[in-house]
Amino acid sequence: MTELLKANIWADVRFYRRSKLLLAFMLVFLLLTALQSLPPLFMNSGVQSFNSLQEIVADLNFFLLILAAGMGLLVISSHLRNRSLKMVFTKPCPPEVWLLSAFLSAAAMSLFLNVVVLGSTVVLSLLWHLPVRMGLVFVSAETFVASLGLIAYLMLLAMVMHPALAAIVAIIFNADLFYQFDVWTKAAIRSGNSSFALRMVEKVFRCLYILLPIVYPFDKQTENIHSSLRVLSSEWKYLLFSFGYALALTAFCYCVSLWALKRKNHI
Amino acid sequence: MIFAQDVHVHFRTRFFRRKVRALNGLTLEVRDGDFFALVGQNGAGKSTAMYCFLGLLRPTSGKVEIMGQVPELGCRLYKDIAYLPEEPHYHLYLTVEEAIRYYSSLYGKRVSNKTINESLERLGLAQFKTLPLAKCSKGMKQKVGIAQCLIHEPKVLFLDEPTRGLDPLIVREFRETLREIHQRGATIVMNSHVLSEIEMLANRVAIIDRGKVVVQDELQNLLTLNQELYRVIFDGNGNGVVPEYLTAVERTGHLVRAFLPKSRLSDFMEAVRASGLLLHECSLKRTSLEESFFNIIKGEATLAETDNSNRAASLGSSL
Repeated sequence: MTELLKANIWADVRFYRRSKLLLAFMLVFLLLTALQSLPPLFMNSGVQSFNSLQEIVADLNFFLLILAAGMGLLVISSHLRNRSLKMVFTKPCPPEVWLLSAFLSAAAMSLFLNVVVLGSTVVLSLLWHLPVRMGLVFVSAETFVASLGLIAYLMLLAMVMHPALAAIVAIIFNADLFYQFDVWTKAAIRSGNSSFALRMVEKVFRCLYILLPIVYPFDKQTENIHSSLRVLSSEWKYLLFSFGYALALTAFCYCVSLWALKRKNHI
Repeated sequence: MIFAQDVHVHFRTRFFRRKVRALNGLTLEVRDGDFFALVGQNGAGKSTAMYCFLGLLRPTSGKVEIMGQVPELGCRLYKDIAYLPEEPHYHLYLTVEEAIRYYSSLYGKRVSNKTINESLERLGLAQFKTLPLAKCSKGMKQKVGIAQCLIHEPKVLFLDEPTRGLDPLIVREFRETLREIHQRGATIVMNSHVLSEIEMLANRVAIIDRGKVVVQDELQNLLTLNQELYRVIFDGNGNGVVPEYLTAVERTGHLVRAFLPKSRLSDFMEAVRASGLLLHECSLKRTSLEESFFNIIKGEATLAETDNSNRAASLGSSL
């Protein structure tokens, strides 16, 4: 089992390293971040430098989330579409192990990139003579935890549908959209239109909002940390809660993906 | 050892949802130690049958067993099985060496560098070991497939068009290796369009047509001797006159190849003696696998046509 996990993770890490799509995506974001970090070099104000640092942290963490989702999507879809799984499942390597190693490899890559980003932001803080705040660690850890859930969710979508469709579902039909719809329908009901159809639609939107994964389940509670990069000791618990949520989501997505993989008529 | 009973595989086409019967009641048995060949036209269902044996394709109905177990993706059964796919469905982002190492390590054992290097050397891949599979030719990918197949000395080998795209030297060496593995007791199931290759290697053959086995027999029983016809080869010595009872006459330089009816054997011998021709060969004509295959497939096609016209006639009369 350990040997199999190691072998699959080793192959998947090579896949991420050699994926031209991921590389191009990473280069574009790095270029944008580099451009963003140029202006503070010509500023003397600590406030302006801090604002720039905060923006860079937010952008880089957003980029890491997208990259993690992309890794989850690509690792499944590329193997399914070029039928290379034939070579894996005709060896004593069960789908459970292969799927777990695909997830672990994407999580490991995401952890590595989060550490690199954290290190870079710490270096920037030092270069711009800003205090290194614990908020940087919190935001990085929160991004990593969120990326675990996203990787598992995108792996599930890639398993059951075309990767382009999976990307559309993840970007457009997400919990935020149905939350907005839910708010609108509630507002319409409150304003006097309480037809049965509208009440049913509101319930459907509510259910979809609850069922679909949320990237940052405690974003309201951690809003201040993102803006000030300071963490109160009482706020660390939200990281733990987020981790619990991500683990539950990952376990659910893993089980459904595995079921879908085993149900496939043709590998 | 490998057993398939009344296996049906039906697909639906993407847009028109038309039903395609890839396997239509396939029944066959491969015995322990057999070198079994699956022969058939393109689209007959050979590869589909192999996917069913390997658990890569779930049959619509019917039963498939390998060593008494139903094959499932990645189960323990595969520790003794090796598979060489027809299409190069490999991890194209890996290099030649990495691919062999990865596929070998999926057996759950560490493979030494020495074993991998030996296998690379043996197949002439050593100088290309750092080349990504995406940039390799079809033949080189096939060699990678062969290397990963043979590295663990499997008990059962599934080979789907194994010599496709390989150079003649490697084909010969591969054939020898297969013979060696078979002699050591391995069971081999092979799909191939190269009937001469099957004649050289297999001991049992199944001919598949339109998704079902039409003949399953010992190879020797399919390569029968024709008791009524002799194959003769003689030196024509520039003499254009060939007895009129010889058929299918072929000339290559001085050599004349032809078929001789048994009833005219004494006449021919007389003619040879009288004209002083040099006779190279005179033997009963052997039916090749190719001829058997064509006869069987032609027979099946005629049967199907008759069946269809009978059905149409009965439908017409009932209307």
